[in-house]
Amino acid sequence: MSVQTTEPKAGPPDPKPGIGAWGKLSRAIYRQAPEVFDNLRQLPYNLYKSIYRTTAFPKTERERSEAFFNSFLLHIQPAKIEKHALRFNYTFGLGLISFYLFLLLTVSGILLMFFYVPSVEQAYNRMLDLRSSVSYGMILRGMHFWSANCMIGAVFFHMCRVFYTGAYKPPREFNWVIGVLLFVLTLVLGFTGYLLPWDQLAFWAITVGANIAGKADYVSDHLAMIPGVPNMHMGVMMKNALLGGDTVGQEALIRFYVLHVALLPSILFFLIVIHFWRIRKDGGISSPKESPE
Amino acid sequence: MAKRVREEEIFPRNPNKTYGLMELVKGSSPRVDRGPEDMVSAWPHLLIREALLFAATFLVILALSVWCVPPLEKQADATKPPNPAKAPWYFLGLQELVSYDAFWGGLGIPGLVIVGLMAIPYLDRHHSGIGRWFARSRTTAVTLFTVLFVIPTIVLIILGTYFRGPNWGFYPPWGMPVEPQ
Repeated sequence: MSVQTTEPKAGPPDPKPGIGAWGKLSRAIYRQAPEVFDNLRQLPYNLYKSIYRTTAFPKTERERSEAFFNSFLLHIQPAKIEKHALRFNYTFGLGLISFYLFLLLTVSGILLMFFYVPSVEQAYNRMLDLRSSVSYGMILRGMHFWSANCMIGAVFFHMCRVFYTGAYKPPREFNWVIGVLLFVLTLVLGFTGYLLPWDQLAFWAITVGANIAGKADYVSDHLAMIPGVPNMHMGVMMKNALLGGDTVGQEALIRFYVLHVALLPSILFFLIVIHFWRIRKDGGISSPKESPE
Repeated sequence: MAKRVREEEIFPRNPNKTYGLMELVKGSSPRVDRGPEDMVSAWPHLLIREALLFAATFLVILALSVWCVPPLEKQADATKPPNPAKAPWYFLGLQELVSYDAFWGGLGIPGLVIVGLMAIPYLDRHHSGIGRWFARSRTTAVTLFTVLFVIPTIVLIILGTYFRGPNWGFYPPWGMPVEPQ
């Protein structure tokens, strides 16, 4: 699409010039800068062109490729893709589903943050408020709850898919390692979010979980048997670092909150970006053409 | 020792041509015999699938959140421990292992599993069966992964979720004692 330019004609642009103040103003504009009226006519096109670097409805192969590598969000993906990679029963879309659930979790989580207070006195009442006084509060919490639970399942089955199709083999070794880290981080994010409702289920689940971390004392107890090695009480140390005390209380709640809404999601997002980048650098998703049967 | 091949011997310079040899690269290209007929434009073939997948994911989550309301029990009370106190469902496999041995169940085995998972691509580097489900040449790897990781994970979680009652005793789901409120 080329920008249309018209030769400015002499005289006012409108055959029937406006009268009064508006007419005077438009004639004054035309005398000073005759192209302003053309610019106004082309405003929608120029506005679009300034935001998007490519056409909205690509028709030729060249435009279709440009649509991908001229777009910030799409350039992460290849402009051309192997037919095999598009088959649903090859990937079942599990990796992308995991990422979509992460996006849903981010959006619903940020909205929930507007209503939640990480305090022992208020947290549970805020959960009751979601049920009674916040518009669509239960749907909002439900979206976050179900996305989280489904994401754990999706990530697990994505890992199974990658194994069963041999997609971790060279050159994709390191992307598999990042994937394992993403799996662990997803579990930890679920665990830290579990405490936040501050109900009986949350409180005792985290108590049980933190006690499991306390079992690391086994290692330091055995290390302490070596002469000269002091007993570091690793389990107690880990449990205290997690809970900020011996039991689940206000310190544990604020720690889990900060981990859940800021630190862990940032790390997870960073690793997701690397995970995606490596897919491209390792030659796209795995294909049967890469190896014999 | 093969004589170093000079550029001019492979591609003699010709002043009448507008192109020339740029570089010699060792090895085989992964793109060899991969014709353009196997490639399609990501627009619209990939994009439409991604959009549909997002719509489906969103609708399923929305439907779940409308019809299956997440649980909310009574306010946390440190003086009233439930029996049994259960971890989140995805850690119930761990809790089940902990009931056999505290350290090995809770930290030893999970730690070894994570390290083992990360080690897989460095141990199994044989270039066969890529891009196919359950390739016949990978029967050993597939069996080991299933028997050592997938089945235990799923079975332990089901066991901890549905078959464990008061004092972590074994009860069938239909005979689970109801905790007095």
